[in-house]
Amino acid sequence: MVSRRALIGGLGAGAFLGCRKRVIDGRQVARLWFCYGGNNRIALLDLVNKFNGQQSKALIEPVFQGDYFESLAKLRTAIAAGVPPTFSHVLGEVIPYLSTAGVLEPLDDYPGAQDLDLVKPLAQGGAFVDGDKHPMIALPFNRSTPIMYTRRDMMDAHKLKAPQTWDELLSAAKRLYRNERDGLRWGFEVPIDWWFWLAMVGQAGGRVIEPDGRITLGGDAGVKALKFWQSLVHEHKVMRPPPGRDFNAWNAANDDFLAGRAAITWTSTAYLRVIEKNASFPVVTCPLPGDVKRSVPTGGTFFVMLKEVPQVEKIAAWSFLKWMCEPEQTIEWATRTGYLPVTNAAVNRLRNQGYYEKHPNDWVAYEQLQHADPWPWSTTLFRIERDIVNPRLEQAILTNRNAEDTLRDARAEAEEPS
Amino acid sequence: MMRPRKWIDPTWMLAPTLILLVVFFIAPVGIAIYQSLFSWDLLTPPKPVGGANYIALLKSGELFWVTGRTLLFSAMVVSGAMSLGLSLALLLNRRGLWFSFVRSAVFSAYVVSWVAVALLWLWILDPDRGIVAKALHLAGVGSVKLLNHPDTVLPVLAGVTVWKITGYAMIMFLTGLQAIPNEVVEAARLDGAGALSRFRFIIWPMLRPTATFVGTTSLVISFQAFDVVRVMTQGGPVRASTLFVYAIYESIFMNLRVGTASALTVVFFVVLLSLSWLQIRMWRQKA
Repeated sequence: MVSRRALIGGLGAGAFLGCRKRVIDGRQVARLWFCYGGNNRIALLDLVNKFNGQQSKALIEPVFQGDYFESLAKLRTAIAAGVPPTFSHVLGEVIPYLSTAGVLEPLDDYPGAQDLDLVKPLAQGGAFVDGDKHPMIALPFNRSTPIMYTRRDMMDAHKLKAPQTWDELLSAAKRLYRNERDGLRWGFEVPIDWWFWLAMVGQAGGRVIEPDGRITLGGDAGVKALKFWQSLVHEHKVMRPPPGRDFNAWNAANDDFLAGRAAITWTSTAYLRVIEKNASFPVVTCPLPGDVKRSVPTGGTFFVMLKEVPQVEKIAAWSFLKWMCEPEQTIEWATRTGYLPVTNAAVNRLRNQGYYEKHPNDWVAYEQLQHADPWPWSTTLFRIERDIVNPRLEQAILTNRNAEDTLRDARAEAEEPS
Repeated sequence: MMRPRKWIDPTWMLAPTLILLVVFFIAPVGIAIYQSLFSWDLLTPPKPVGGANYIALLKSGELFWVTGRTLLFSAMVVSGAMSLGLSLALLLNRRGLWFSFVRSAVFSAYVVSWVAVALLWLWILDPDRGIVAKALHLAGVGSVKLLNHPDTVLPVLAGVTVWKITGYAMIMFLTGLQAIPNEVVEAARLDGAGALSRFRFIIWPMLRPTATFVGTTSLVISFQAFDVVRVMTQGGPVRASTLFVYAIYESIFMNLRVGTASALTVVFFVVLLSLSWLQIRMWRQKA
């Protein structure tokens, strides 16, 4: 075993020594692997340039690595090969696994780490069950929740209010649906992705992993959530599953909403600015409806620093991370994208400046955090998402496969060793 | 037969090729076989699991479905590219500017990159804004989700692949056709052989080596299909377009299951080896 790692490591070390520029013009270089395109990419690169222009000790080199999943695959491969970047940002679901693998740098002892005043549901301490019992290895960066996007013109025309329950969502979707003869418009659309299913599982009163570690995938609540989703597509025919997988489906759902082919959609707060900017109609966001209770998972990514990089690079990266948590940068990032501000100081400043009165959609996203359910601290969480649940959700919703059978099979696979 | 003066001479002359062969082909297969016996995610220590990766692939049906799907895809691609390529070659085997233009137009698809082809067809087949959707809508067929339905996605991907490689098959068949001596065909014509008989008894037998070559290369291309899947469907919907190479990619690069990906690679190697063996056998029988 050691020899395989040694082989990969040896090859990596060659690349490491050959390619890694450590110091440029007396400034320590720290490489940041990031995963954005479009508006979010521009916002991040502007911030990086601002940081690089404001001081003369550290130089952050941002490198685009594809979407979250591609970037994560590259990151894990780079770690195994011994050529990790200095820091990156990764999905919350994968943090317990990376932490257990021992590849992340604990950040508690870096100067100022204890004074960041992070918004608890978005930070490691609140975003995970018992997250604060582990060393701080992740800093919240682009954090989000799913929210409901509606069109004020359509809602007003049909005398509809924001749906508060699943039944109200169904009834609104039925009212807003228009058939092909009159110009097809789906009442509701949401990407087939476990993030949204997870929200519904929570709303139906379930958990994917119980506090004692049992993988239940929500039990009856999981089945109820899946059946509701199936009924929207197959029984009531008010929703179409957006084409494509992963972020292709997310983009398709956004496009349908913007083009008027879908009246209501659920997607991430991350798309708030893009949707508002490109919509030819007034966009109104609302909290996700509830079933037996309200519940949303948090989403987006955390900054992580890699353990196996030189200390000087870590210090340079930390100076950037700390700077990003200052109210100015947190506010710039949140207001330019739609992601949630991650420090209390930033939220308070926005509130005092009257930002939320002018941008009520942003406030909806922030306020919904009171219903945010933390992720279980489980090393298998990411595998359950990618390998087990997501493909089965797609199958169950597209082919209307029996929900109980689908989740029973998923549970059985989740219990097998990976 | 010539004999080397020293036994070492042919060995060192072959060494560069042999080293490349060992480093890039034989050793990786060996490593894949070894790694298929472990459960490993690259970051945590590998656990020896014996044949569990193979058993899991068999038990879950994944191996059966991925192999079946890939073979079906290959059958569609090989038969489609060969029949279309041959038909076009027969039609366009004429002199003249117009025929040259059409030949170039058909072949042009082959020189375009796979990603560009996939993006182009993604746009054409878009269920809302694509030309195909609009045409079907005008024809009163209603909305047809060709790429978004498990039953239609594989034939559609095969169609795109055939569209891309037909030009190549056509050029190969044209080369074969032009190598057939005109006198032989003329003699058959004078003997009263009709077009069908000339094709069946003269042209096709003489084109057989070309057809074998086109069949083999199309088979290789179809087994290598990746870009078109990655760009157009990401293996979906419901894994209906997850072909062998994509399944390997997904296992290792998206889900970091090195053991599973290695087991799939070993099976893929065995399938390809069996197909090559079959092909060589058929060639030898014909020879």
